Amino acid sequence: MSSGRSWVINALYILLSIFSFGVSGGLVQSCGYIIPESPVLTRGSSFTALCILNESCLDLGNIHANQIIWRIKSSVVPKEQYHVINRTVSSVTFNDTSILATPLTCNILADGQIEQNIYGIAVTVGLPPEKPENLSCIVNQMSKSKFIMTCTWNPGRDTFLATDFRLKSQWPQETLPDCMPQGVNNSCNTSNVQFFVNLEVWVEAKNALGKAESEPIDFDPVDIVKPLPPHNLIVSSEDLPTVLKLSWDNQIETFEMELKFNIRYRMSDSPDWMEVPPEDTESHRTSFTVQSLKPYTKYVFSLRCMKKDGMGFWSDWSKEKSGVTSEAKPSKGPALWRKIDMFHSPNFWAVHLIWKKLDPSEANGIILRYEVTVRARSRLSPSPATYNVNSTNLTLNLTNGTYEVTVTAHNKIGGSPPSFLLIPASNSKAPVKDLKAFPKDGKLWVEWKVPNNNVVKYVIEWCVVSDSSDCTTEWQQELGTSQGTFLKGNIKPFKCYLITVHPLYNNGQGNGQSTKAYLQQSMPAKGPTVQTKKVGKAEAVLTWKPLRVDEQNGFIRYYTILYRTIGGNETAVNVDPSKTDYTLSSLSSDTLYMVKMKAYTDEGGTSGPEFTFTTQRFGKGEIEAIVVPVCLAFLLTILLGVLFCFNKRDLIKKHIWPNVPDPSKSNIAQWSPQTPTKHNFSSKDQIYPEGSFTDVSVVEIEADDKKSFSDQDLKHFNLLKKEKSTSEGHSSGIGGSSCMSSPRQSVSDSDESETAQNTSSTVQYSTVILNGYRDQIPSVQVFSRSESTQPLLDSEEKPEDNSGGCDSATPRQQYFKQNCSQDETNTDGSHFERAKQVTPPINEEDLVGLAQLQISDHSLQQCGSGPEQNKHESALSDVLSSSTEGQILRLETMGINTATVDEIPKSYMPQTVRQGGYMPQ
Amino acid sequence: MLYVAGEISGDSWGIFAFLCAAFWNLPAVPALNSTEEVGAGQSIQKTYDLTRYLEHQLRTLAGTYLNYLGPPFNEPDFNPPRMTRAEMVPSATVDFELWRSLNDNARLAANYRAYTHLLCYLRGMDGQVAKAELRKNLGHFCTSLQGLVVSIASVMSSLGYPLPSPLGSADPTWARGPGATSPHNNFLKKMDDFWLLKELQTWLWRSAKDFNRLKKKVPPAAVMLRLEARDF
Repeated sequence: MSSGRSWVINALYILLSIFSFGVSGGLVQSCGYIIPESPVLTRGSSFTALCILNESCLDLGNIHANQIIWRIKSSVVPKEQYHVINRTVSSVTFNDTSILATPLTCNILADGQIEQNIYGIAVTVGLPPEKPENLSCIVNQMSKSKFIMTCTWNPGRDTFLATDFRLKSQWPQETLPDCMPQGVNNSCNTSNVQFFVNLEVWVEAKNALGKAESEPIDFDPVDIVKPLPPHNLIVSSEDLPTVLKLSWDNQIETFEMELKFNIRYRMSDSPDWMEVPPEDTESHRTSFTVQSLKPYTKYVFSLRCMKKDGMGFWSDWSKEKSGVTSEAKPSKGPALWRKIDMFHSPNFWAVHLIWKKLDPSEANGIILRYEVTVRARSRLSPSPATYNVNSTNLTLNLTNGTYEVTVTAHNKIGGSPPSFLLIPASNSKAPVKDLKAFPKDGKLWVEWKVPNNNVVKYVIEWCVVSDSSDCTTEWQQELGTSQGTFLKGNIKPFKCYLITVHPLYNNGQGNGQSTKAYLQQSMPAKGPTVQTKKVGKAEAVLTWKPLRVDEQNGFIRYYTILYRTIGGNETAVNVDPSKTDYTLSSLSSDTLYMVKMKAYTDEGGTSGPEFTFTTQRFGKGEIEAIVVPVCLAFLLTILLGVLFCFNKRDLIKKHIWPNVPDPSKSNIAQWSPQTPTKHNFSSKDQIYPEGSFTDVSVVEIEADDKKSFSDQDLKHFNLLKKEKSTSEGHSSGIGGSSCMSSPRQSVSDSDESETAQNTSSTVQYSTVILNGYRDQIPSVQVFSRSESTQPLLDSEEKPEDNSGGCDSATPRQQYFKQNCSQDETNTDGSHFERAKQVTPPINEEDLVGLAQLQISDHSLQQCGSGPEQNKHESALSDVLSSSTEGQILRLETMGINTATVDEIPKSYMPQTVRQGGYMPQ
Repeated sequence: MLYVAGEISGDSWGIFAFLCAAFWNLPAVPALNSTEEVGAGQSIQKTYDLTRYLEHQLRTLAGTYLNYLGPPFNEPDFNPPRMTRAEMVPSATVDFELWRSLNDNARLAANYRAYTHLLCYLRGMDGQVAKAELRKNLGHFCTSLQGLVVSIASVMSSLGYPLPSPLGSADPTWARGPGATSPHNNFLKKMDDFWLLKELQTWLWRSAKDFNRLKKKVPPAAVMLRLEARDF
């Protein structure tokens, strides 16, 4: 507690004492100080500072130098660097000043650990200046009498201090004013330039740490002058066409220095300068004549100067001035060529003479006109025709012959040497050999081999080969010594050029040799469009159109055909470009193929559109190979079948056509002996002689008949039997007419036949008709018409013939025969015959027949069979037509009566026979 | 054959020995180690060029300055009589024969003295000019003239002549300097300036001739070397 109080008292005491001391000693009286005061130190050197305490302060309290603490800014300097010299002095030493910073302070730790600042100094660390190097000076002429000397040097490293550079100069016994750099430390300008007195110049660099001087340089300022270039340059042409005179003003006086010059010039269209030999312009001058120039050419000039003895510097080049030399005669005749049109007749030509404008370097002026002379080369040799032309072509109409053409170009001064051409040059001389054309250095180069040594010149013609436009020929001429040239013209890439070289001789011309070339090739513009010409099972013939020249963009080297199936790999085939079709083989059958084509130039290929096709399922001839044998086999089968049928026809016939008993056979005879007919007896006797009839009907048939009767037939029999009872009453009555009606019934259906059965009284016929009708419809009508009583009549008239024929045949055959015999003519004939024979009695009979027909018709109508009715009617009308009209009238009036007539005349025997035949049933 | 070869080798040995001797004696050639002589030729040429340069400069300057002085001084035919006062200015109107009879040293020394004094007057004139451009030109001319004085001094030293004392006691008026004798009359002062320029022009013209002659007398270094070598 007591110690704390004493500390406070001490502190107060010290403060008071310092204060009172300061006041008493003046306004600022510190307790100590540091030496050196504000030092400038070399970076990296060692440095020692002393802090010295005032005696007066020491008296105030227990202060000792060992209480001093050094600080750099706010950080304490380590105690190891301190050294207490005595009670009032403490020193601090730094081995490397580069760690120093401002401020460096001296502080004292008083009693009670209160740190008091005694003093502080600012420390500046830097480097002394280096020796300036590379001092050099130049005197620039600014105007006619104003010169500025500029000296430059390398100031060396940064000193971190304010460093003063001065350019010092002196004469041998006189020091001149210094030159002070303005804003820079490496150059100085001075306008105080004295020529012809040697000047010594050096640079002095000075700062707080030292001073350095460069090596002095010694010179006369007149020897380091860069003068202004000559001005007011004038270029004037002289009489000579190869000369131009230059004149100018120099901007520096001769008493200051004499000059030498460089003169350069170029043609106005060329960037390359030429120079007048420097030794020609080594002396001071204000004019010069440039020689060896080209006539009528614009030249550009400029010049520069420097001190004559070569000291100093070249001036800049003067402003450029141009001038044109005067004109001279053209130096060369124009390049001459021709085109010959042989229209109308070969004896008259239109010769188009064409020539090139002279190059300006050859024209030597403005070409005013061309003079063309044409002389026929013949023995008569008329005076040559002369034409004056302003253009570069002339068309002449000449007759067949040889002509010498010369062309000269004229300008203001005179004419050129003539160009010569023979027309028409007979193309009999040697052509050039090994003509080649290819791109070189971005241009199209043509080269050839000389045919012989007498070639005067070559004419090279070329044109673009195109589908769309004609070959517009351009040409150029080359010397006879040349063996190659670049085409001079606007040669475009991707175009095909046709190049022709004609060698010209003194007395003729060689054949033109041609070649084709591209300046630059590219991929074709499109690929060929491929399609199939023919598609087979395993191969396809592809065809395409060659690309047009405009699309090729280069020489087509080859085609590639690429084909693939949908999922398969692509196959490529290379094809020669000369081909236009190709056969793909080894394809799979019935497969979809995609094919496209690429055309390749040297630069690459372009593919055309894709084309798809499907191969066929069968190859050529394969179908034929299958179809023909099948057909043959089929035919063979048919043939065998037919043969078989033919062989087995009886068997088949039996199956298809059942046996039909022949009604013409004497079935009656079969039955009649067993049951002798009471009714028919009388009538039979009348018609047939007794013995003969029975003899004809043979027993054999009966067996056949029975056998051949089908059940159906029998049924019909039964049906007929039943119905018979209903119609029996009048059937006998009209039995005589049933000869006519029974065949009719055969036409109608079996059902209809019931009514017919009613009318017909003969069992035999009914049976036959039913069977026959069922299977032989076409013959029914004939049968029915011819039926009537004819067979009976026939048998009456020629019983033996009939029976004889029937005997030999089977009953069925006989039946057929019966059908066959029923021709209309025959029936008609027989009908008429019969009508004649029985005219008187038959009147009645006919009436009865007709009536019966009518009835049968009637019954048919009742049955309602329409179509058949028509047939009946037509049949009826036939019958009617065969009889007289008068009879028809009678028929109508007497129709009903006839039905009731019972007494049938004896001539109706057949009718009775039938009735007799019917009877047993 | 062999004999001939031996003879040739004998000759070449002789030539070789001669060349060796020549090179051995080369350092002894006086022209090669007397750089002073070489420097003299150069400085004479330079001094000659400088006098001609100053001649031209002065012609321009005099025209401007006389215009500045105004009439009648700028009139082409103005030719005032030489006044006694102008005797202060070192006169170039020395008799031609007398001048030529002097030796080089004397002539150079006279030149040196004359220009030193003329320069002092010129500087006095410079301070009085009100026109800035003219003052600048005058200042430049003064510097150039000082260069000539330096040049003449270097020529003299290169030729081994002692420099004359700058303020010669032969003519007390020269020693007094321009300030002491400056007239209070404005016209007279202008007249002094006129005569100063006139004298300067004459001096420069004569100096040019002197140095041209001296130039011929002391040939350039290369020529000298050849002459000396011939003596050897």
